[in-house]
Amino acid sequence: MSLAHEPQAPLKNIRVLDLSRVFAMPFAGANLADLGAEVIKIDTCQTQFMDTTRTTTGPFPDNQPGEFWWEQGGTFQNLNRGKRSLTLDLRSEESQGIIKDLVGVCDVVLENFTPRVMARFGLDYESLRAHKPDLIMVSNTGYGHSGPWSNFGAMASALEPTHGTGAFMGYMSEGTDGRLTEGQVPNKMGNSYSDFLASWTALGSLMAALLRRARTGQGQWIDLAMYQTGTTVIGTGLLDYVFNDRRTLRIGNRHPVLSPHGVYPCQGHDQWVAIAARDENDWQAICQAMGNLGLVADARFADPIDRRQHQEELDEIIGAWTSARTSYQAMTSLQEAGAPAGAILTAKQALTDPQYLDRGFFETVHNPPEVGLRSKGYVGRAWKFSNSETGIKGPAPRLGEANEYVLAELLGIDQQSMERLAEDWTIGNLPEGGRAPGQVPLDEQAVLGWIAEFDADYLDRLAR
Amino acid sequence: MPAGLLNGFRVLDLGSGISAPWCTKILADYGADVIKVETPGSGDASRRMGPFAGDDPHPEKSLTFLYLNTNKKGVTLDPSSVSGRKLFDRLLSEADVLVHNSPPAESKELGLDYASLAAVNPGLVVTSIAPFGQTGPYSDFQATDIVTYALSGLMYHSGDSDQPPLRNVLDQSFYVAGSNAAAATQVALFARLTLGEGQHVDVSAAECLGAHLVQPLPYYNYMGAVKGRRPVRGAGFEELMPARDGYVAPSVQGSQPWATIADLIGLEELQDEKFATGAGRVAHGEELKDLLIKGLAQWDRMPLFLASGERRLVFGMAQDAGDLAECPHLGVRDFFVDVDHPVVGPARYPGMAVRLPGEDISSTLPAPLLGQHNSEIFGQELGYSAQELITLRQHGVI
Repeated sequence: MSLAHEPQAPLKNIRVLDLSRVFAMPFAGANLADLGAEVIKIDTCQTQFMDTTRTTTGPFPDNQPGEFWWEQGGTFQNLNRGKRSLTLDLRSEESQGIIKDLVGVCDVVLENFTPRVMARFGLDYESLRAHKPDLIMVSNTGYGHSGPWSNFGAMASALEPTHGTGAFMGYMSEGTDGRLTEGQVPNKMGNSYSDFLASWTALGSLMAALLRRARTGQGQWIDLAMYQTGTTVIGTGLLDYVFNDRRTLRIGNRHPVLSPHGVYPCQGHDQWVAIAARDENDWQAICQAMGNLGLVADARFADPIDRRQHQEELDEIIGAWTSARTSYQAMTSLQEAGAPAGAILTAKQALTDPQYLDRGFFETVHNPPEVGLRSKGYVGRAWKFSNSETGIKGPAPRLGEANEYVLAELLGIDQQSMERLAEDWTIGNLPEGGRAPGQVPLDEQAVLGWIAEFDADYLDRLAR
Repeated sequence: MPAGLLNGFRVLDLGSGISAPWCTKILADYGADVIKVETPGSGDASRRMGPFAGDDPHPEKSLTFLYLNTNKKGVTLDPSSVSGRKLFDRLLSEADVLVHNSPPAESKELGLDYASLAAVNPGLVVTSIAPFGQTGPYSDFQATDIVTYALSGLMYHSGDSDQPPLRNVLDQSFYVAGSNAAAATQVALFARLTLGEGQHVDVSAAECLGAHLVQPLPYYNYMGAVKGRRPVRGAGFEELMPARDGYVAPSVQGSQPWATIADLIGLEELQDEKFATGAGRVAHGEELKDLLIKGLAQWDRMPLFLASGERRLVFGMAQDAGDLAECPHLGVRDFFVDVDHPVVGPARYPGMAVRLPGEDISSTLPAPLLGQHNSEIFGQELGYSAQELITLRQHGVI
């Protein structure tokens, strides 16, 4: 093998067939594209079967879906950047045959159908392996391909409490003595947390499979159950039950050992700073930053045990100091004194945050003008490689933009067959039926609590 | 025996706490040969983190340490001394990967920066995990999990909109960072196949979480909206609602009609057509919420969850650690692994995040005792004599 010695994309010779929808696997596929893989997204012209991030998730530019609304969704764009798009109709045998032929020229398949669907399409791992003996395939489901719950559908918002995060997350409640005590009501990280755990797990497991295939020629089927994946990240909690019979820990923003530990209000609407003292040095640094070194000598706060006992009084003192500052000012003073502190950023603040900007985390993506999207920042990757080229390759693909490339070039399907496929809407560039989803105006969304607030002048703010 | 996907790769885990040990545990579970290198005397910081088995604060009983370090071997070594560095360089030259999570300034001081490591072994992949990465104005910030979560942009969305943002679960920032680092490390190993050289992988925990902003980010840069925490007043369906023996997560998502949901919950009034559409449920949200509370109070969590799954609905339920540790579904999937540790004894631990059909995962090594494999690695493998090892121990090197 000749060695390159020049930075190149790590996965440049890998082709991925992405049959997945919604969040978890599409995002894994987007990351593979960022790493240089050619990722072919299987789309469809049948609007009711389209990836819901194309049709309903939004957000749309200025909350107004345009002429090409199915290309515009902001979440769809982030999750599918840099891919190619082939339209098919998976219900038809002909399309299923095309998938099998395509698997023969791909290295990796990503899919997230429930087990019965893939078997019905004849696209389960065993069937596909006949077309590609060293195939690596990630099947992502809620509960996996084995076990009594395997055919249950799932979505992240209902999965998250099921895989146990709510046992270790919740606001404290007021006890009979008026003091705060461990809460009874589970809460959630939200924001489709379970989906992203699955994205990262898919990437890790399929890289392991690619490394083995490169050395031994062996393929691998990866049965990724989001329920199971979510359980692994609270393993310490499970062991606390196994060894100590403890089932929950809901202590709000407090910490079982450290004190102070919490979030404190700052100037402005819904602005907060998180502060934690790991040890006595941090505690003194916090007192110093607040200009209140007298607290260090205060017997109520002498050590973390005392501070935890008097946490409500302590929180009031710290909260009074933070309330007179912006979250960034409080963070800066505390960090300068050497104490762990961080402003709780909104996405709006993250977009202009100095650290994110310095590392170039949000990558600007340009769409063709007719799609009707301005150039925008998309989420990047958390990994910087010193000697590999990575980065977002381009926008999400327009519906069916790679039909000709995949069908004619890769699979050698003749023009006559292509025309027939176009006639019955199997391939095309437009949705069959369906129309732009109606949007609730932003001022109504704010009243309903679906959004916290909105800036009509957001473009000017971002340009500043 | 762990899975065999990464057989033949040698990984040095210089990590402490959660992020780097979680990364190398994932690699170990895929079959890599992971050697954990700990500071003589004190060891990995997680040895001092609660909870402990039997609530006994003992360095071999930390549950975080026991969980995160299965399938690894453990040595003690202080690379800041001359003879320690010699020994360390021997280990380095045999390794494919080194993972650490020391603060950027500290790794430079200890000679563990990428340039120094690559000088010993140019084929080495070095993965550095830090709360904010190796560069930028926050790279030297003091951070804990809650601080990392705050600055990622994700914490703002956790919890209820009429309460402060809520901390995540059990140091989640560092688990997400470790999972990312495991993937990125292997990408660099894959690149090495064509590149012929190792490289440095710089992983920022805050960015790992920031990558989850695929909705909040476009909400702002597409339409100027700040997506908040979950609303207190919703469309009747709240994400967690009380059932008879705990909380459930009812859901209208999925392809089933409203009648299926109303029929499942089993309250006649829910069949009313006015609840059949999303708009109707918003318009009659308060009334719907009262009916749901009444209906769900007739159910225990598990029967409702099973009945929902059978009807192709996607309800969830709030489970605690005991529910999960005894989950029959995970049991059938062979998720749990039996681990026998010399100090805390045998127990069932959570296993791998994925099921790998065809792989034989028949036994799991317990987390190493501090310095447990010193003679095996330094003596048998690197050829140090018993006398030399005694000398190194007396000088505090191992």
